Amino acid sequence: MVKRFAIALLAATAWAGTAGAETLPDGAEVARRINARDDGSSAQRTLEMELIDKSGHTRKRSARLLRRWFGKEKRLALFYLSPATIEDTAFLVHDFPEPGRDDAQWLYLPALRKVRRIAARDRGKDFLGTDMSYEDMKNETKVSAGDHHWTTLREEACGDTSCLVVEAVPLDEDMAQAVGYGKVTYWVDRTTWIARRAEYEDTAGRPKKSAQISEIRQVDGIWTAHRIEVTNRKSGHRTVFHVSDVDYATEIDADLFTERSLRRGVR
Amino acid sequence: MRRGWIWGSAVVALLAGPSAAMEPPELSILVDSEWALGMRGPHSQKLEVVAQPELHWALGADTRLTAIGRLRADAFDRILPGHPRATEVSSFSRVGSAGDHVDFELRELFIETQWGRTWLTLGKQQIVWGQADGLKVLDVVNPQDFREFILDEFDDSRIPLWTVNAEVPIGAANVQLLWLPDPSYHDLPEPDATFAFTAPRFLPPQLPGHLPSLEQTNRPRRLLADSDAGIRIAAFVGGFDLSVNYLYHRADRPVFEGRRGSGPFGPTVTFTPRYRRTHLLGGTFSNAFGDLTLRGEVGWTSDRRLSVEDPSDTDLVGQTGELAYVLGLDWFGFRDTLLSFQVFQSWLLRDETGWLRDRLESNLTFLVRREFWNERLRLEGIWLHNLNDGDGLLRPKLSFELRDDLTLWAGLDIFYGRSRGVFGEFDGRDRAVLGMKWGW
Repeated sequence: MVKRFAIALLAATAWAGTAGAETLPDGAEVARRINARDDGSSAQRTLEMELIDKSGHTRKRSARLLRRWFGKEKRLALFYLSPATIEDTAFLVHDFPEPGRDDAQWLYLPALRKVRRIAARDRGKDFLGTDMSYEDMKNETKVSAGDHHWTTLREEACGDTSCLVVEAVPLDEDMAQAVGYGKVTYWVDRTTWIARRAEYEDTAGRPKKSAQISEIRQVDGIWTAHRIEVTNRKSGHRTVFHVSDVDYATEIDADLFTERSLRRGVR
Repeated sequence: MRRGWIWGSAVVALLAGPSAAMEPPELSILVDSEWALGMRGPHSQKLEVVAQPELHWALGADTRLTAIGRLRADAFDRILPGHPRATEVSSFSRVGSAGDHVDFELRELFIETQWGRTWLTLGKQQIVWGQADGLKVLDVVNPQDFREFILDEFDDSRIPLWTVNAEVPIGAANVQLLWLPDPSYHDLPEPDATFAFTAPRFLPPQLPGHLPSLEQTNRPRRLLADSDAGIRIAAFVGGFDLSVNYLYHRADRPVFEGRRGSGPFGPTVTFTPRYRRTHLLGGTFSNAFGDLTLRGEVGWTSDRRLSVEDPSDTDLVGQTGELAYVLGLDWFGFRDTLLSFQVFQSWLLRDETGWLRDRLESNLTFLVRREFWNERLRLEGIWLHNLNDGDGLLRPKLSFELRDDLTLWAGLDIFYGRSRGVFGEFDGRDRAVLGMKWGW
């Protein structure tokens, strides 16, 4: 009896193991599922940012972040609302669908009252003093799937759910230089297809920064992260983004994604 | 000044209308304080506090009002001693004063409203054209206050004008139409000012054997006949930001027109400063290539009038077309660092004996800016150099964001070169500057 039970247990274990391996999607599929997540044809939300240095000194900023799809081209506009010293600073990006084509990026500086074209090649550059990169900001919890090799490592518990752990390695050295890291490991929630956590390593394999994404809930039927904390592992500086006033339902005027609107702001 | 408020109030009343949904206005204030200490024989050039209150008021879904004031108090009154009346500026755009140490100004007051896809901005405002930093080819819609030469931010030194500004999207282009019924021109410092112009090109020419005299500036005053108009068509084409600009205006710097005569002590020459009409036609471009941004602007001015030191010239004024351009490269190759280089050239198209400047004039600018500690600390250096006169200006600056609402900085403004040069004329005005900006 015991022998038959042991054989049955072994068989069940082997079946479970096989079944588990079969259900783990490969890395490219995980990336595809992340990017296939519905994020609405347009979105607008308020970002409250806390920039905290390693001694605990905190600076706060607030901004309105708009995004709209124009066919396969994504346009993103960010308008600073406070503090008064940087109010009206605005950023616009046109993310073109053509592979290899750099984004077009503009920055409006109220002190100059000019919209300046800025280079988009350095995607890993910190975004306006935060710990998020221009790339992170543009991707909005999605990923640049075609710029990386993707590998699924395992599945493990993360918080109250189960996450696929996938690794993204830039396609080549040039790409690594452009995005500013050598590898990212994502913990991707299988329910929402949003990464709950990300650990970045620099090109030498040292910890670079980490991101924690939480308070994920549906708005207008779309899974939305409401809190993102990014910590620079080298400097100890971190940025906490609080997302509020999310609206996917109202279509955003196309004119808001123009150089003219950068100058005018979204008051 | 009072007429300015009346104009503004009329515009507001006209556009807001009885149906305006009155939400509470947003109020903010920026307070700048600077202490400038002269480095040649230490004395304070200024110790000033500038408060700039701003009001933004949504008067409806597509209409909003913006009002920006400025109050400046200077402990020393050495920049513009005695606070002279800026006669170059129209009475409804002029700065008011309360004694020698305090002045106040309605900087901007305008209504923005949408009419279909057309945006109208009506009122006193700044219009900024061009792609250049620190040097101007097309950024001449608004005149400039030269109280501190070019050391002030252009945002602070531009003289806002009463303007009708319509922006209309047509296809992929944005068309801006301007009408400026506000005959105001550069506010130039008086001879006793700290940054009074002394280079020959800015003064009436010398005529040997003649006793010179200078008449009052003859500023145009007719609202309609002396108004300016302009158009800018901008588009994003093939990865390039492009614009074509045209401005029908009067040159903002007066030309000294000479008139010869005779007096009890011999021959005389009387100069009358006048503002003459010109056409400015130009364009801009910018694009990013990898880590580089290339940008430029070019402008052709139809009738530039400049002083000539040629005794055979009747009125001591030469007339020429002028072609000017700026080509700039911004390089973002080092992380958190911007390196920027610009070449600016101005070419007088007509050769004439006695120009008080070289026919081809070249300036170079370099900017290095590096951010530290998540943009909390900024180090920058700006170098402007004139190749003709070998003069220039160096401006190192260190800024630190102490709190969200408080930034401190320290910097130097160092002039060098010959006194006939645009920068060299201020060689004795080098200064160290400490400043703070507080915002609420």
